Amino acid sequence: MTQNTYANNTAESVMSGVGDESRRPRPRTGPLAGVKIADFCWMGVGAVATRLLADFGADVIKIENRKRLDMPRRLPIYKGDVRSYGNEDPNPDPNKGGLFNNYSRNKLGITVDMADPRGRELVVELIEHCGIVTENFAPGVMEKWNLTYPDLREIRDDVIFARMSGFGHSGPQAHYRSYGPVVQAVSGLSFNSGLPGREPSGWGLSYMDNQAAYYNSAGLLLAIYQRMLTGQGTEVDVSAVEAGIGLLGSDLLDTLVNDRPGRRADYPRGNRLEYPDAAPHGVYPAAGDDQWVAIAVFSDDEWQALRTAMDDPAWTAEERFATIPARIANQDDLDKRIGEWSRGRDKHDVMTLLQNAGVTAAAVQNAMDLVEHDPQIAERGTFFELDHPVIGPALFEGFPGRFGTSRPDNWRSAPLLGEDNAYVFGELLGRDADTLAQLSAEGVI
Amino acid sequence: MSKARVQAGGSPVASITVVELAQSPAGEQTGKFIGDLGADVIKVEPPEGVASRHVGPYVKGHEGDPDHSLEFWAYNSSKTSHVVDAATECGRREFAELLARAEVLIVEDVRWLARLGYELDALQQERPDLIILSVTPFGLTGPWKDYRTSDLIALAAGGMLNSCGYDDHSIPPIRPGGNQGFQLGASFAWCALLLALIERKNTGRGQLVDVSLHESNAVSGELANPYYFYPKAVVQRQTNRHAQPEPTQPATFECGDGNYVYFALILAESKAWSTLLTWMDDLGMAADLLDPAYQDIAYRQRQFGHVQELLEVFFLIQDAETVYHEGQRRGLPIGRLNAFEDLPNDEHLQARGFFVDMPTIDGDSTKYPGLPYRFTAFEPVPGRPPRLDEREAENA
Repeated sequence: MTQNTYANNTAESVMSGVGDESRRPRPRTGPLAGVKIADFCWMGVGAVATRLLADFGADVIKIENRKRLDMPRRLPIYKGDVRSYGNEDPNPDPNKGGLFNNYSRNKLGITVDMADPRGRELVVELIEHCGIVTENFAPGVMEKWNLTYPDLREIRDDVIFARMSGFGHSGPQAHYRSYGPVVQAVSGLSFNSGLPGREPSGWGLSYMDNQAAYYNSAGLLLAIYQRMLTGQGTEVDVSAVEAGIGLLGSDLLDTLVNDRPGRRADYPRGNRLEYPDAAPHGVYPAAGDDQWVAIAVFSDDEWQALRTAMDDPAWTAEERFATIPARIANQDDLDKRIGEWSRGRDKHDVMTLLQNAGVTAAAVQNAMDLVEHDPQIAERGTFFELDHPVIGPALFEGFPGRFGTSRPDNWRSAPLLGEDNAYVFGELLGRDADTLAQLSAEGVI
Repeated sequence: MSKARVQAGGSPVASITVVELAQSPAGEQTGKFIGDLGADVIKVEPPEGVASRHVGPYVKGHEGDPDHSLEFWAYNSSKTSHVVDAATECGRREFAELLARAEVLIVEDVRWLARLGYELDALQQERPDLIILSVTPFGLTGPWKDYRTSDLIALAAGGMLNSCGYDDHSIPPIRPGGNQGFQLGASFAWCALLLALIERKNTGRGQLVDVSLHESNAVSGELANPYYFYPKAVVQRQTNRHAQPEPTQPATFECGDGNYVYFALILAESKAWSTLLTWMDDLGMAADLLDPAYQDIAYRQRQFGHVQELLEVFFLIQDAETVYHEGQRRGLPIGRLNAFEDLPNDEHLQARGFFVDMPTIDGDSTKYPGLPYRFTAFEPVPGRPPRLDEREAENA
């Protein structure tokens, strides 16, 4: 990737944003208020992991490098400009990226050149101040900076050091390169998805960037809880591939326990189930271009409910559809008939009709449906809005549940590049304005 | 069952007792997360056992036996099982005794809790120290709160399914395997439980946490929501690669042994291009790509179709294992699409000791996936799933 340097004038030009009192760092609320993290995480899997902690009150201080921008700052997810990635702006505004805004809300942002000894010295002080360090670099980067767990313990004995990588930090393939789709491939999560006899359909997203991130969040929370109880720190090592293998479920155990190979003619099964018995169980066409509805019938009672909801078409009374084993035996024809029924109907109408009749069904919703149509998301306030000095107001994906007392503290959209340098290096670490100006002029921060 | 062993140090959750009322992978996996770290997880079951015991696959030769369901084994390690008959006074009293000992209650269905004699509101008042972790299909409130779900339905409603499937859109979106719709709920429930434990440590108070599978899926689509939040684009599914606003080149390649690798060539990355070119040339397969014209990014991009064809042939003359390791040796982010049987033999996983030897109820042992995180301060090893009504932990 291009190695553009985002000079300090980029930050200065947005210092107007810093004057905005609403963006000034303030004491946080929530169960993690008072927790401080020196956060080297970047990309998706790292940024999503520390986002949860920032949401619930931790001061997550995101350490960035102007010479090597975090990928989500560069990915072209911009208001009013539709680009696939792979089709990036070669010289992007680092403060315009929607994905970065989504991943780094509620965090503070500083810039440091770790290659400069003065930069490293600032970071060592920050680590001493925070006591928690997170990173998801390729293995070797923290080693190059002499910031391994033993090094960090020299700085602060009770330090928590959370490391997140594709393959984990030991073993012969620890250095292998990966991102979501590679992790999914190696862990078996791509192989287990698709129609029999075809190439796997796998995932249309970096699922493991999210799932490994959630496990990273849990690992960090466990380490924090452990330190609250004992005063002792720990290193945490998360391998995304291992997290992925842990998500394979009984298909994996069928191989491990029963020696049943995954590579067999009838696997994977597309939208059908081998266990438990279910028919119909599939995704059926609905009215409109490429619109679909999913229906899952696990019992004869549910089948009767579906029949009633469909107004009892004559074919549903046929003996070959009367029982689960019969419907499974005649699945191809069953699916065709259901599809003929659903094809002209609105996917949300089908969902409402069937759910109200006691049939497990859902529209295949896209992001537009979630934002514009889904009454549950709207009622529960799953998405929320924050303003941003460059992007303007934007929606964010909130925590998918409600707490009695541990509320998220959504105080600010993502930091502009270097937005909190003055606060962190000045107010927290005590550097005076002249020193900061010099460090900035020399590209150290 | 055998309780999770903590080999070194002290697990922060070892002193915690959890009562679990769960029979889907969402609540069960949440209980497993904390049980595998050494907590006492009491799985309450009806006399016939929870639903997951009645789902296959089963251990060969034990089809239909609720103690040998691999679906149950997958999500219920490190727990004890207490059969409690909600229909009897004695059963309800027993449940009350279990709950009185617990710091955490995991509950998937408040109607089951009601049959056992408890309402959520009253329980919160009676036990302000208790963490009640509710994990439900759509959440405890809202217009869809009584809607039914399954893994397919959770993935469909939450937007995940819309991104998954084939380039050919006459084929419907295809559900990714392994109960991931439920697993997303479990991951958030686990994080929520840890947040509630931290708050309880600070304040002494418990709380009700209401986690929704639907919302857990709706916030996990990676690029799909930001593409709508910002440019208002709806992503389109593509075979085994990112759903995007516009089609991109295939990234799954078949190899000579019939297995597949994932490799997304980004032509604008000059280092990756020269690495790939050297590799192809080493095998005499670079053909006209050695033409200096291909050093120009724009030229490469114009010739993408031709590059893609040569790449297909290049991978097809090798086996997937070789492509994976040789590509990685050269620094390319490439991955073999492993099947389950490839995993226990993977030398890297073996070196890390990822799979543990789990004792089975028949006195045998089987490989079982280890924990997703490792701590220097404590090292837990999961214990085996319980037989129905196996109340006492064996000495591990």
